[in-house]
Amino acid sequence: MRIALLAAFVLCWTVGPASAANGWWTFDRNTNLNSTLSWKWTYPPSPAEYSRSWRGGSGTTMDECEIGRGWLPSGWYAQKGHWDHYDGSKVKGRVWWVQDKTCRDGSTRRTELFIHSEETASNSQSCTSTYDDPFCWERESDYYSSGCIKVARPSPVASFPNDLGAAHAAYHDYGGKSAHGAYDTSDANELYVYS
Amino acid sequence: MTARMTIPLCLFLALAASACGSAQTEREAQPPGARPPAVYTVGRTLLGLPGHDRVTLAAAPVTPLAGWLTPVAVPSPDGRFVAYNAWRELREDDPALSWEDQGISAGDPLARPSIRLHDLQAGTDSAYVVGAFSLAWRGDGAIAYFKGANRDYRAGVRYVGDVFVRASVNGPPRRWTEQTDRYIVAGWAGPSLLVYRVRAGEALDVLALDGPGKRRVLASDGGLVAISPDGTSALVEHGPEAGQPRVDLIAVSNGTKLASLDLSTVDPAVGVVGYAGDWQGDLVVAPSASGLVVFRVAGSRVELARTMRAAAGQGVAEPRFVGLSRVTGWTSSSSGGAFVDCDRVSARCVRAVPLPDARGVEGFPAWRRPVYNPSRPQEGET
Repeated sequence: MRIALLAAFVLCWTVGPASAANGWWTFDRNTNLNSTLSWKWTYPPSPAEYSRSWRGGSGTTMDECEIGRGWLPSGWYAQKGHWDHYDGSKVKGRVWWVQDKTCRDGSTRRTELFIHSEETASNSQSCTSTYDDPFCWERESDYYSSGCIKVARPSPVASFPNDLGAAHAAYHDYGGKSAHGAYDTSDANELYVYS
Repeated sequence: MTARMTIPLCLFLALAASACGSAQTEREAQPPGARPPAVYTVGRTLLGLPGHDRVTLAAAPVTPLAGWLTPVAVPSPDGRFVAYNAWRELREDDPALSWEDQGISAGDPLARPSIRLHDLQAGTDSAYVVGAFSLAWRGDGAIAYFKGANRDYRAGVRYVGDVFVRASVNGPPRRWTEQTDRYIVAGWAGPSLLVYRVRAGEALDVLALDGPGKRRVLASDGGLVAISPDGTSALVEHGPEAGQPRVDLIAVSNGTKLASLDLSTVDPAVGVVGYAGDWQGDLVVAPSASGLVVFRVAGSRVELARTMRAAAGQGVAEPRFVGLSRVTGWTSSSSGGAFVDCDRVSARCVRAVPLPDARGVEGFPAWRRPVYNPSRPQEGET
């Protein structure tokens, strides 16, 4: 009996719950409107890697040094925090805030960088105007950003896939931190942006 | 000569030839006639100032937290001073690695920005405001700048602060912003100071400050292309992330939109327009998707005048009119930047690389950036 209990414990430990996974983001820059955001994870010590990917946009130009315009610079990023109901003036709802990054010119720092969508702080949609609402995912051009990574979500006026919801679920199910808010300590769930 | 000697010799000659070829290419990049802007910096060296062959500054002018939203260095209206942005790194931050992987924790001091003042008359160079960056010099000598609430730029901490104005370079500072935030000073438009507010997601707003506590939003999610020569209006660009890309002509005094040009209705070479351009007479030059674009502002109309193509993949920043026939800007390169000199008639652009052997200092490449004052009006302009 004692051996069976021990075996069950070891089995649970090695197969492990979702929290045993080690996960990280990657962003493969292709165009401002159509790049790929992925959540990747492993179950250490196994090197086998799993991933899920979604279409993501970033910036309005491909100059990673252009503040407020260029796409996200390449390199590894630590996460500064994750919120479900972030309430910034431009960025709201389910967001991941990543560290500042020096771009390829070796000098200019890109700051205030997030992974986010266009939704309200309560994770709903505010679609009221005729052309573009900042917290409503209406159209293709919503993939553009001032520099952040943006993923789509459905809205009452357009039927984009729920990529934000899927990315959020994958993050929490496969190795992302369960905590919400700003991270006081360094975070293993990093982001890698390919050059 | 044996084969054993011949092969390495040929290899050496081939390598030497290819090295000479590289040097030649660099020389060819600057054909006769390609010129840098009127006043410019190469690393710590300041060139082109009237009456000065070259001036060596105490630090290299750089603007890491502002990019080219603001000039790296601004001459004073009376020509006596050059105020410039400097950056002292307190610890190395490798862009390829995350802060976690470098042992950098939230709150760790990473760098200390400062505004320095070089007195061309006295030959002195001293820190003007430590923990500050971005400045604008008004025609009457008033100087405005952003000063951080804390001196140091720290990991994971927004570098917030306030905008201060001094009536003269040695006058007492007065705080013009009521709310501490992330600001970048862009330039004076007559009595109004135009500054950027940087929001989450690097969204940029253009604000007009009319005095202490007097703040107006001139444009949300926009960038300042240029201020009109008389200082009464501003051309603002909006990218495609907030609707159709466009440029708006705004009256600075009350924020009225005087005119607008939908960029999706003009030559597709324009695409999107960038900030930090120049305005001369009724013409405005700005960075564009394919190089440079010139708009004509006639009364309350904005129209496309012409486009100038840069080399493929080469972004041009901070274009400036030089005389009536040229526009110069700069572009980044592996050696830290090159100037782009464009002929306004032929629309042909060539690269100018003054001091090609210059080496960077303090870990930076040898940046080549124009030195200018975007504030309007300036002496002689109405």
